[in-house]
Amino acid sequence: MTTVGIIGAGGISGVHIAGWLRLGVDVVVHSLVGAPELVARYGGEVAASLDELLARCDVVDICTPTYTHRSLVEAAAAAGRDIVCEKPFALTVEDTEAMIATCEAAGVGLFPAHVVRFFPEHAVVHDAVERGTLGTVAVQRYDRQGGMPVSPWFLDEELSGGIITDLMIHDIDFARWNAGPVDSVRAVRSAPDPSGTVAAQVVLTHASGCVSSIGGVWSARPVAFRTRFEVAGTGGVVRYDSATNPSTWVNGISSADGDGYAPRPAIGESPYQTEMREFLTAFQGGPPPRVTAADGLEAVRLAEAARRSLALGEAVTLPTEQPAEPEEAR
Amino acid sequence: MKVALMSFAHTHALGYARLLGAMPGIELLASDPDSATRPAGESGGAALAAELGVAYVDTYDELLAWGPDAVVVCSENTRHRAHVEAAAAAGAAVLCEKPLATSVADAEAMVAACEAAGVPLMVAFPVRFSPAFADLVEQYRAGAVGTVHALTGTNNGQVPAARAWFTDPDLAGGGAMTDHTVHLADLADALLGGVPAVRVHATANNLLHPDAAVETAGIVTVTYADGTHLTIDCSWSRPASHSIWGGLTLSVVSDTGLIDIDPFAPRVTGWSEQTANELALGYGPNLDQLLLESFLEAVRTGTPPQPDGHVGVRTTAIVEAAYRSWREGRVVEVGRTSV
Repeated sequence: MTTVGIIGAGGISGVHIAGWLRLGVDVVVHSLVGAPELVARYGGEVAASLDELLARCDVVDICTPTYTHRSLVEAAAAAGRDIVCEKPFALTVEDTEAMIATCEAAGVGLFPAHVVRFFPEHAVVHDAVERGTLGTVAVQRYDRQGGMPVSPWFLDEELSGGIITDLMIHDIDFARWNAGPVDSVRAVRSAPDPSGTVAAQVVLTHASGCVSSIGGVWSARPVAFRTRFEVAGTGGVVRYDSATNPSTWVNGISSADGDGYAPRPAIGESPYQTEMREFLTAFQGGPPPRVTAADGLEAVRLAEAARRSLALGEAVTLPTEQPAEPEEAR
Repeated sequence: MKVALMSFAHTHALGYARLLGAMPGIELLASDPDSATRPAGESGGAALAAELGVAYVDTYDELLAWGPDAVVVCSENTRHRAHVEAAAAAGAAVLCEKPLATSVADAEAMVAACEAAGVPLMVAFPVRFSPAFADLVEQYRAGAVGTVHALTGTNNGQVPAARAWFTDPDLAGGGAMTDHTVHLADLADALLGGVPAVRVHATANNLLHPDAAVETAGIVTVTYADGTHLTIDCSWSRPASHSIWGGLTLSVVSDTGLIDIDPFAPRVTGWSEQTANELALGYGPNLDQLLLESFLEAVRTGTPPQPDGHVGVRTTAIVEAAYRSWREGRVVEVGRTSV
C-alpha cells in the first residue's frame, strides 16, 4: 500500500488530498497549521513532524508556499521519497535547477503539479494540437480572472513571485505545451492600486513563430473565477469560456441551506485526481506523466523572464531551449 | 447635400454606397479609376457603381469638379493621403477609411491639409458608435467604472479575400497589424480621452498564410501616458470558411470589477443547411450607418466630427511603433506627434 505524505494544509491541499484518497492510497499530513482540520474533513492521518511524515510515506506531495519548496524538496529527496511539488517549482531558475539536480542525485522522482494540463477542456485542446486538427498553431490567447488570494503570502511578491509567477504560470506552461519553446517574453502589469486589484499581460513569441497572449487578473472586488482561451492554427480555431458553457445552469434555487439543487462544480473526475494518478503511475514504473520536471523548470524560466521584462520595461530574449533528455527508466 | 465616394478599393465602400444611397437629401456620386489596376475578377469601376445604383464618373477630377460638400475616401491605405489632400483642396469635408494613413508623416500632412483648407477630417472608426461601447464610455465618465487598470482587445477576422491589395505591402502598408490594431486603439483613445501612447511592443507572424507578403497574426501591447496598458490581438485568425467575418471585443479591468463588451454579440445563431455552416442573424444598429450619420451631421452643422484626424494620427503612431518594435524585437517609444 502506497502512503502519500502531504506537506501543507492550505487551499491546494484540499483538492490534492481528495484526489489522492480517491486513488485509494493512504495519506498523512504535516502542516504548521490546519492539518487536523484537513484530515477531519477529508480523511488520512496527521504526522506530528516533518521527520515523522517522511518516515511514514512513499511519496511526498509539497503543498506549501512557493518560497519553502526548495528546502522541502531537498529534505524529501534526502529521505529517498518521490516528490510531487505544487507549481511553481520555485521563484527562480537557480532554485529549480538545484531542486532537480538534488532529486536526480538522490534517484527520486520529481513532478510539478501544473494541473491545468489535466483540466479536461484544456486537455482536449492539446490533444487536438497533437493530432494536427488545428494545423500549425499561429495565435493563442489565454485569460484567467479571479478574486485575490486569501493567504497574505500570495500578495507578497518576494514570497510568491506575484500574479505572473503564481497564477499566469498555468497558462504560460499550457501555451508552451501547445506551441513549443519560447524565444522572447514581454510582460506588462497594472500600476499598484489601493484596492489591490492587479492585472498583467504576458506575450510570448515562440521559436515556431507562434504568438501567445496571456492575461491574468486578481480582483479585489469579489468576482467569479473565469478562464477563457482561443487557439488558432492553419487547421482551424477553437475557443472556450468557462462563463458561457456550464453543462448545468441553475437560477433561483437556493442551495445555501443544503436543500436546494446544487450541481457539482466539476464534470467527471477531478483533474487533480487525474494528475495524481499519472504521477503515481510514473513513480511506480509506468509511463512518464504529461508534465515533467523539465517542463516545470521551463515554466519557471518563462515566469522569471516575464518578471525581468516587467522590471526592465523591455522584451526579454531567452536562450534556445534544449530538447529534454529522454526519461530514464527508474 | 452632395457626397462623393472616392474609390471602391476598400470593401467598406460598398456598404457606405448602399447606406448613403438610401439616405434622404443625399446626392451621391462615385469614381473608382484605380479599379483598372486591380486584379482580374475584382469588382469595381462603373460596373460596380451600376450594381450599387450609384451615379459614376470616370476620373477624380470630374468627381471633385462636381463640387461635393463631403468626400468619403475608400482607396487603398497608402493612397489615402493623396485623395484626402485632393478632397480638402476641393473644399470638401472628408471622411477617410481607417487606418488614416500608414505613416505618421502622411497622417500629419493630411490633418494639416484639412486644417489649411478649413475642412473637417473624420476617420471611419465605426465601433466607437456601437451602443455597447458608447454605454461603457458614458458609465466610465460618470465614475461607474472606477480606475481602469488594463484593457485587452481582440479584433480577429478572415484574411481579406475580396481585394488583393490588403496583403500588398505597397498598397496596404502592412497586414493584420495595420488593418486590425487601429479599431481598438481608437476605442482606447475614446475611453481614455485621447491620452497619448508612449510605448509599444509587438510580435507577429504569417504562419496562417505563409504565402502572404505581410503579417497575418500579431499581438500588440500599448502603454499609455497614464499607465494604462492595452493588449490587442489583431490577427486575421478567423478561418476563411467561417460563416462570420470576425469580430471585436474589449475587456476592461478596473477597481470596480471586470467588464467585457462584444459589440457584435447581438445575433441569433443556428445552422444553415444551404451553406453547411453556422447561421448568424445579426441585429441591432448598423454601425456604419451611425458613423455616416454622425459625419453628415457634423458637415451640416459645422461642428467638429469625432473621431477626427488627430485620433487618426495617434492611432497611426501606435501602428508605426508596432512595426518598429516587431522589426527590432524590442519595446519602442511612440514618436511624438506634432498635431
